[in-house]
Amino acid sequence: MTDASSPVAHLSPVRPATETAIDLDHIGKSFRMENGRELVAIDEVSLKIGKGEFVALLGPSGCGKSTILRLVAALEAPSRGRVVVEGREPEDLSRAHRLGVAFQDHALLPWLTISANVALPFQLAGRSVDRKRVEELIRLVGLAGFEQARPRQLSGGMRQRASIARSLVLHPDVLLLDEPFGALDAVTRRQMNVELQRIWTDERITTLLVTHSVEEALFLADRVVVMSGRPGRVIKTIEVPFERPRQPAIMRSAEFHDLVDELTLALEPEEAA
Amino acid sequence: MRPEPATPNRPLRMLKTALSRYWGVIAVLVIWQAWVSISGVNQIVLPQPVDVFRDLVAEPGIYLRNAGQTLLLAALGLILGMLLGTVIAVLAWSSTLLSGILTPLGLVFSSVPVVALIPVIARIMGYDLKTVLAIVVIISFFPAFVFTSAGLKTLPPGSSDLFRVLGASRWTRFTRLVLPSAVPSWMIAFRLAAPPAVLSAMLAEFLMGTSGLGYLFRSAASGFQTERALGTSVVATVISVLCFTFALWAERAVLRKWN
Repeated sequence: MTDASSPVAHLSPVRPATETAIDLDHIGKSFRMENGRELVAIDEVSLKIGKGEFVALLGPSGCGKSTILRLVAALEAPSRGRVVVEGREPEDLSRAHRLGVAFQDHALLPWLTISANVALPFQLAGRSVDRKRVEELIRLVGLAGFEQARPRQLSGGMRQRASIARSLVLHPDVLLLDEPFGALDAVTRRQMNVELQRIWTDERITTLLVTHSVEEALFLADRVVVMSGRPGRVIKTIEVPFERPRQPAIMRSAEFHDLVDELTLALEPEEAA
Repeated sequence: MRPEPATPNRPLRMLKTALSRYWGVIAVLVIWQAWVSISGVNQIVLPQPVDVFRDLVAEPGIYLRNAGQTLLLAALGLILGMLLGTVIAVLAWSSTLLSGILTPLGLVFSSVPVVALIPVIARIMGYDLKTVLAIVVIISFFPAFVFTSAGLKTLPPGSSDLFRVLGASRWTRFTRLVLPSAVPSWMIAFRLAAPPAVLSAMLAEFLMGTSGLGYLFRSAASGFQTERALGTSVVATVISVLCFTFALWAERAVLRKWN
C-alpha cells in the first residue's frame, strides 16, 4: 500500500457513474435439451458495466455465468432481453475486432510459435502485425525469451499468459475472461492474478471476469457480482474498496478476509441458514 | 558372411546391430541357398540367391529403367490422387449439399476392388501408362479424402470460438485455422497411401502394362527367367520399404512441428 499517501485520488475504487460499456437488460437464456425439455440457464439478469470498469461474476458451476460471457461475446443469442455493448449489437464489436477474450482453454494454435499466436489477432483483423506491440505484451506477461517456443513446450501457466497477451494485443474496448486460470495450481494462479492486476491497471479496459474463486474476484475486480445456482440470477453485488494498483499484501488484510467470508456465505446460502 | 575378427568398437558394433536387426533376412537367404544346393531343384523352379544377385549386378540398366518408371508413376499418381482427395474433401467441407453428394460417391468408388477396376479403366483409357497413372490416382484418392475430411473438422479446443470472437472472415478462418488443422491427418493419409501407390502401379503394370517393374516381372516369369523375376521382386521390396520409411519420416517431421 505504498501509494496510499501519494496523490492518486483519481484511482479511487468506487468510480463515478460514467457511460455504460456493457448493458445486460433483463436477459434470460434457455436451452432446449435433447429430450425436448427446456433448461433455464439464466432466469433474469440485469447488469450494467461502466467504461473501464472491472466486474467479476462469481458463482457456483452451472449458474450460467459463462453463458453471460458468451452472450456478450456474441457466441450465443439471448432467449429474452437485450445485450448492448458499446451502444451496439455484440456482433458489431467482434466484427470490428474490438473484443479481447481469454478462456479456460488457452486455444493457442499448436502449429504457431508463441509470438505468432500473440500476433494472430492482427492477422484475423486483416492488419499488418505491430511487432513492437507483440514483443511488449510478451514481455509484459513474462514470456520474454519464449517467443519462438511452441505452445506444447510451455507449462500450463505460461500458455495462459500467452493467451492473456493475445487477448490484449489489439487494445480491445472490452476484455472477456472466462476462468482464464481455472486449470492452474493455487500458487501459479495467485501469481497470475498479481500479474493480471498489474497489466490491467496499466490498460484499464472494460473487463468482465467469470470465476468461481472468491479471492481472485476480490483481488482483481472493482465490483463483484454473485450469482445463484441454476437458474442463474444475481443475488448480491459488492463494490471492492481496495485502491489500485493493488499489492498482493491486501490479500492478507482483515478487510479482505471479511469480504471473502461475506462472499463465501452468499455463495453457500444453505450453510448460512 | 562371417563377422570380421576384432577391429573393435564402431564397425563391429554396427555389424552387430545390423546382424541383430536383419538376421531374419540373412537366415532366409542362407536357408534358400542351402536348400537349392542340397536338393538340386531346377534353376527354372528356384534359382540360387547368388544367381539373382548376379543378374541384378549384370543388368542394372533394365532394373533401373523399369524401377524408375514405376516409381515416377507411383509418385505422380500419389500427388495427383492426394490433391484430388484434398480438393474434394474441402469442397465437401464447404457445403452440406456437396458433402451429401461427394461423401457417399467417394465411399462407393473407393470400395470397388482395384483389380476389378484395372480392366475397365484400361478399356476406356488404353493399355498404356495413362491407365497405370489413373489406377494410382484412384488408390491414393481415398485416404486423402477420408483423412482430410476428418482433419478439417478436428480443430484445436476453443479455437473456433476464438476465431469468431476475433471477427475472422470465413476465408481467414479457412486458411488460418481449418486448413492447418488438417495437416496432421493429411500426413497420416500420406503415410498410408505411399506404399499402396507403388504396389498398385506395379499391379497395373503386371496386368496390362508394357513396361515398368510389374511388366518386367510378368515377362520374366512367363519367359522362365526366374532369376530376373526374383530380382524384380528384390527391387520392388527395396522400393516399398524405402517409400514407407520416407513417408513415416515425413509424417513424424511434420507432426513434431504441428502438435
